[in-house]
Amino acid sequence: MLTLTDIRKSYRIGPTEVDVLKGVSLEIKQGELVSIMGPSGCGKSTLMNIIGLLDRPTSGSFMLDGAEVTYTNDDALSEIRNKRIGFVFQQYFLLSRLTALENVALPLVYRGETGHNNRDRCMELLKRVGMDERAMHRPAELSGGQQQRVAIARALVGSPSLILADEPTGALDTLVGGEIMELFKTLNAEEGITVVIITHDPGIARQCKRVAVMKDGVIVE
Amino acid sequence: MIHTSNLKEATRSLLASKQRTVLALIGIVIGIGSVIAMVSVGRIVQEESLRQFKEMGTDILTIEKEFGGGPPGMPGGGAKPAAATLKLDAIRAIPSRCPGISNVAPSVRGSGDISFNGKKLERSSPMGVTASFLEINKLAMGEGRFLSDLDEQSRYCVIGSQVAAELKKQGAARLLGSKIRLGDNLFTVIGVTNEVPQGGMRRFEPNEMIYIHITTGLRVFANAEIQSITARVSPGTTNNAARDQVLAYVASLGKGQAVRITSPEEIIAQMEKQMQMFTLLLGAIGSISLIVGGVGVMNVMLVSVTERRREIGIRRALGAKRGDIRGQFLIESVILSLIGGLLGIIFGIGASWLIAHFAKWQFALSFSAILLGVGVSNAVGIFFGYYPARQASMLDPIVALKSD
Repeated sequence: MLTLTDIRKSYRIGPTEVDVLKGVSLEIKQGELVSIMGPSGCGKSTLMNIIGLLDRPTSGSFMLDGAEVTYTNDDALSEIRNKRIGFVFQQYFLLSRLTALENVALPLVYRGETGHNNRDRCMELLKRVGMDERAMHRPAELSGGQQQRVAIARALVGSPSLILADEPTGALDTLVGGEIMELFKTLNAEEGITVVIITHDPGIARQCKRVAVMKDGVIVE
Repeated sequence: MIHTSNLKEATRSLLASKQRTVLALIGIVIGIGSVIAMVSVGRIVQEESLRQFKEMGTDILTIEKEFGGGPPGMPGGGAKPAAATLKLDAIRAIPSRCPGISNVAPSVRGSGDISFNGKKLERSSPMGVTASFLEINKLAMGEGRFLSDLDEQSRYCVIGSQVAAELKKQGAARLLGSKIRLGDNLFTVIGVTNEVPQGGMRRFEPNEMIYIHITTGLRVFANAEIQSITARVSPGTTNNAARDQVLAYVASLGKGQAVRITSPEEIIAQMEKQMQMFTLLLGAIGSISLIVGGVGVMNVMLVSVTERRREIGIRRALGAKRGDIRGQFLIESVILSLIGGLLGIIFGIGASWLIAHFAKWQFALSFSAILLGVGVSNAVGIFFGYYPARQASMLDPIVALKSD
């Protein structure tokens, strides 16, 4: 479902050009559970931003669902993020003023969809991640693991084909982290959603069907 | 794209930073408030003057001797030589010679010391008038009688209410029969006119006048000449027709006779023009305070954008387009300005009510001022909110996500 070919990315920091990605090629098929693993500074976050269409590569080709997206305009990229990609971040990134339910509904707002059907859909997803009883709570009233569950429900609400998780268990203890990983595995197995997990933790990577190891801006295995 | 849920969201985020919101509101409230107060006070003053003017009636012409071309500073000032003074007999003949005029009231102003019981009377001024003066100027008698045509050359006078109060203060037991000294002559009070509200459109202050007969005035006042004639237009005649008749009559009197005639319409039109200028000027001053308020809004919005960079990043990641972000912040600044505008309208109307109350004017609610307030605050919100909103929308999602 996504094919990266010789993706390069460099940043200019002061007078020097820093090459962060030095020709990454990667193919991920529909329904895969992949982890991209590597030490910090290896470029995995930059790669995740490019896959998540939050950043553009300096050169190379990125095909998403068979269409080249490297040079797509900003509004169209926003729409692809909204409809096809669900993000899960290390720090959850829920909006603190909104309730769990409203946070889950947020991607639908940007589709111009509001109303009762949405509410039902969001409740259903909160139930799926075991958070339906906390629907009216704000993030500050939830534990880290609970917040991450709400964030996963938010990632799922738009029925994306790809879930992109950046260190999803990085801020959680091992036990809660394990539960979150179980959730990803279930979603992948039962609904066939492609899940890409970025992590520096070999323990997390081991639980995925496929591991891509990154080092110094290239994928080494 | 602007979503309805943005409204709820905007209100919530404004409430989240109450202190800042309130501070920004103060600027807008003062700005809109002063615009509203000034525009509506302008309207009140305008209506008040018109009302006072209409009290005198609009079927009135003021005939004045043509001075050297007009008052100084007016176009043509000093161009023509001063005209000869109209004789009293010629003036008295106007109603019979001009069918458009039903009555005339010539008057002559005097000067000099006025005293009662040897003490000087302040704030009083003598004037020679005819019997018709009372009716034409819509004055009413409180006590005694007004001067009649049989009082020619007499030493009788009629006083205004203010002068009467002054006499009482000086110890006059009875007003009627009291003697007032004008220059070298003693005059006996035969009547007192009722009090007239201040600020009318008459060219004299009725409460402060001492009226004597015009024939006496022409004799005892120094350099006396009839400068002004008030004429009542006959029913069914237009002011313009009456004016033409008077002009033709004056021309027939011979060379060197010229008058300037003004009708209330001209004065009303001129006054309205002045008021428009006044309102415009006041509006301009209010606009400056609005700009100050607007800059306050912009400041609050810029701070808000900086503080909510991460939120912007999250929304962008979840699929918000640049336009969505811009819309969100614009709605916030417009709501902020509108709330300020509404408070400002209340504040401004309250202020203008107070001003009208203390100036004893009739309060009038100006709907155009309210519309102006809403419109202007909306415009301020969009204008001063656009730049911060654009900044928010141009943020790079990754940079925004990484910020605290």
